[in-house]
Amino acid sequence: MSQNNAAIIEGLNPADAFTLAMDQEIRNDGLAGSYGCSALELNRLPDIAELNHRIQCFFQQFPLANARLEQRGRRFYWCKTEQAPIFLNPHHLADSAKDETTFHHQTLVDLINECKPRETLQPISFHLISSPNQHTFFCRWIHPFCDARGADLILQYLCAEDDSERQKFGQPASRPLVNLQLDKFHWWQKLGLLLKGKRYIDRLDSLKSIQPFPIKKPAQQLDFAIHRLSEEQTQTVQALSRKACGLTGASLYYIGCLMRALQQLNPTAEGEAYCAPYAFNLRKQRALTPVTGNHVCALFAQAPRDIVKDRTQLFTYLKQQNQQVIRQQLDYAFLPLMWAGSWLSLEEYGKTLRLSYGSGEERSSFWFSDIGNISLPNDRFPGAKISAIFHICQVTSPPSLAFLTGIYQNRLNLSYNFVKPSVSPEQIDALHQRVIAELLDQ
Amino acid sequence: MIKQKIRDFIFRELIFVDNPAQFSNDDDLLEAGLDSMGIMRLIMFIEDEFGVTLPDSEIEPDNVKNFNALENWILRHKKP
Repeated sequence: MSQNNAAIIEGLNPADAFTLAMDQEIRNDGLAGSYGCSALELNRLPDIAELNHRIQCFFQQFPLANARLEQRGRRFYWCKTEQAPIFLNPHHLADSAKDETTFHHQTLVDLINECKPRETLQPISFHLISSPNQHTFFCRWIHPFCDARGADLILQYLCAEDDSERQKFGQPASRPLVNLQLDKFHWWQKLGLLLKGKRYIDRLDSLKSIQPFPIKKPAQQLDFAIHRLSEEQTQTVQALSRKACGLTGASLYYIGCLMRALQQLNPTAEGEAYCAPYAFNLRKQRALTPVTGNHVCALFAQAPRDIVKDRTQLFTYLKQQNQQVIRQQLDYAFLPLMWAGSWLSLEEYGKTLRLSYGSGEERSSFWFSDIGNISLPNDRFPGAKISAIFHICQVTSPPSLAFLTGIYQNRLNLSYNFVKPSVSPEQIDALHQRVIAELLDQ
Repeated sequence: MIKQKIRDFIFRELIFVDNPAQFSNDDDLLEAGLDSMGIMRLIMFIEDEFGVTLPDSEIEPDNVKNFNALENWILRHKKP
């Protein structure tokens, strides 16, 4: 092995390459790149020494956390770096006269918009934002490094109280789950899936996607708004979701409610159907491995405008669509497409992922991700209790909106991530009022 | 036999538990992490493996909450 190759820790798997292409697309739209973020609101300042110790353990156990991305030909690799990692970045409000909530929000906005070349960016960074009465622990990663479930595992790792517990987290000895799943199919089955996937995309693209927010270039900044429902409201939403979409459809319920809210907000937006990509996880539930890398495959929820206007019809439609997709194995049909795409240049792959074959325009009306029930214990963070958790992610512009949901301590959390100036905070406020009304069926 | 095949599938593909042998046929699968996508995959597996069709209208907690419930659900739809 040459000296050059000796620096390689591992190559990107097909799902990593997928997220890297989107990183490039986000950067091309004038934004910072494919950051994903988790924020933990703490009830007090944590034990910094213990937190630093746990973060150091993490960097020792997962060398990828301090790797750098390097391109060799058309493929990308995680490579070793001589640079020492930064463990915990403090951000402290010194002037108590300033508004604490604004300080925390603005610091997060600065972090999620920090533009750095991906070749020099530490793949994951940890931040402690503190002011006299508010404390936020913030974890930011670039998406080829890990996916949302991996980030959830990293937070669990940091909440583990002793080293032996932390040793249970890790990487399986074998290949990434995307590759393992692909290995289950013979080459002719992969070819069949690839054609299935292509036909599925063609069907989606036969309807022009609605773009709820007209683009105002240049894209300037990602902003976010967090809304947390009460336990009672969350129970109501869960009951309504069960009634509308059955046991298998909480995510579909959230997607449908957002589609209807967008339709009410801008009924004349151009296009024929709302189309939302979302990822599903290939890990076993509750598994502590794998932590790093992306182990997801993509799906779409699509609904024509006329169906969106009828609440009952919409949920029936989305549920049937989802069941058909799984019955026909279309959920796995993207695996060979992702494998094939990883051999394209980032520009070619990005266009393939984003643009409709039919109209040549953006396929997504918005991005969606349901983190589900977050199992993080609230009393294991060193020296502080976790009072709330929310997520943030970057998004291309268009569609300029990513909607993230998750439940923590029996409360549904809604995270609106939007690109200014295409979308304004006032529009998000108006959208949220309609989303709440839809979620609670009021 | 039905239960064992379902157990093997769930622990191989869908849910991680430290010691599957200690997970009883009455333990709650939903609490153990069986999620919506997992339920759909499980139903696909059951339909292929046992030659039954499970109606969408019957996908409810009482039918999928544990291995005993799953077996009963399958047996109700299995032709003699």
